[in-house]
Amino acid sequence: MKKLVKSLITLMTYVMAFIYFFPILWLFITSFKQEKDAAIIPPSFIFSPTLEHFHEIWNNGVAYYMLNSAIVAIVSTFIALLLGVPAAYALAVYKIKKSNNILFWFISTKFMPVAGVIIPLYLLFKSLDLLDTLSVLILVYAAMNMPLVLWMMRSFFKDIPYELIEASQVDGATGLNTFFKITLPLVKSGLISTILLSMVFAWNEFFFALSLTYTNAKTMPVYMTAFMTQEGLFWAKMSAASVFAIVPVLILGWFSQKQLVRGLTMGAVKG
Amino acid sequence: MSGNLISHAEKAVIEKPRNLKTKKPPVKRLLYPGLIFVALVTQIPFIMTIYFSLHSWNVVRPDLGIHFVGLANYLHYFTQPQFYTVLKNTLILTFGALILCLVLGIIFALLMNRQFFAKGIVRTMFVSPFFVMPAVAGIVWKTMVVNPNYGFSAYFGKLTHSVPIDWLGQHPLFIVVLIVTWLWTPFFMLVLLAGLQSLPQDLLEAAEIDGANKGQQLLYIVLPHLLNYFEVVIMLGLIFILQVFGEIFVTTSGGPGYASTNLSYYTYREGFQNWEIGGASTIGVITVILTMIVMTFLFSFMRRRFKEELT
Repeated sequence: MKKLVKSLITLMTYVMAFIYFFPILWLFITSFKQEKDAAIIPPSFIFSPTLEHFHEIWNNGVAYYMLNSAIVAIVSTFIALLLGVPAAYALAVYKIKKSNNILFWFISTKFMPVAGVIIPLYLLFKSLDLLDTLSVLILVYAAMNMPLVLWMMRSFFKDIPYELIEASQVDGATGLNTFFKITLPLVKSGLISTILLSMVFAWNEFFFALSLTYTNAKTMPVYMTAFMTQEGLFWAKMSAASVFAIVPVLILGWFSQKQLVRGLTMGAVKG
Repeated sequence: MSGNLISHAEKAVIEKPRNLKTKKPPVKRLLYPGLIFVALVTQIPFIMTIYFSLHSWNVVRPDLGIHFVGLANYLHYFTQPQFYTVLKNTLILTFGALILCLVLGIIFALLMNRQFFAKGIVRTMFVSPFFVMPAVAGIVWKTMVVNPNYGFSAYFGKLTHSVPIDWLGQHPLFIVVLIVTWLWTPFFMLVLLAGLQSLPQDLLEAAEIDGANKGQQLLYIVLPHLLNYFEVVIMLGLIFILQVFGEIFVTTSGGPGYASTNLSYYTYREGFQNWEIGGASTIGVITVILTMIVMTFLFSFMRRRFKEELT
């Protein structure tokens, strides 16, 4: 009896996971269909697969926008780390007056909705002739993700026994040496999950990207909406484009989900 | 000679603290660059948003000029019925999605906190939507899931011999809530799952020996243990769910009328469709104030947490 209940729960888990994942699965399936099979009723799993949509979208230059997204995600994450990791280290390791106030201020900037800053930023970048460049997106994404980096990294640094750092200093290692040789390897999994999250948010961000770019600096989310407006009736083609838009981050997520679980919860729950 | 010695000794005494001082941690150098950068990109624009909200300024009507109008923009919106629709939508969307994420998140977490075959694959399936960009999530749901003419909604309508529902036309906000829930539940599941896994197993065994059934264990041991995790995931989730934008832009464009416009999207409409700089700034300021009010409910809890941790 107990065994039966257990296998029923497991079965239920499979069913729920399948339903939950289904929209993504269907997106992938549809992207391999011919257009005439895509919108058919009843929806069908049997069809002759084709790669023509992937070819077409690739030939129409999707790589350019993917590259935009990748540059923005990587460079903005790098800047967020460059500024956030030292600050997190300082807050975690040294005794600083009012360190909770500083920390709270950083987190509270994450509460700031895009709506509260977008108009002045738009006008500023417009007057500087910087609209539709990758640099403005990099700038705002770095600022958007830096508090997150600071918050997560701080709690990883706090987990390191301070004696280890001290001991290496006694051995004559300088501050920077200690940091790269001893401290950083100890927080590796936390660092990876922080990088991952920051890149995911930057890759997927939409409001800033839509308002601050038109053509040259368009990232994948904006490319997708333009695609939908023009070719929204061609489901298979649109699915193929969507696959290009989500696959990089999806793969990144799949490979590092274990690290993400650990990092996220350590960072989140310990404050 | 002896004077020399003393002076050496004195020097050493004097120098020692100085040496320590040079070893003093470079806190300012570590902390200030990030502090200044974030302040420049987030705080100063917000102050400018407040400034713009006190002005009347339409970019496509330069003939009207830019005037200081005091609080007229605020009064204008407070007398508009659609403003209250938007406000209501924002609250329904935020708390609707939050509650659904919590309920589904804990269910998924409980299901995943067991041993079974192919657990890794199942977890991957649950986690995946978290990585899907809102723009694509909106497209998938709009075209393939809830489209009344083709796809699954139409198919099920046919199966049940009923007229397929035009979900986005009739229940736009509900669909947006569903999409947001779909995207954010994995995050809730992950955090709550980690909470479950940190639960000491002997606690449950002791309860079982004392005769507590599964339901009682859940209610009196598991859920209280998860309280911290709930608080954190609610706070983090709220930050993002309050600002939902892409899902709305792609699926309903805030319509029909204002039926699925939230404050973020309202700012976009006023700013980038009507080019009302003053109006959009006003909505922006109101959005920030509302966010602050919602967050203040969590503020005391956060302060408590950080104090606890630092002592």
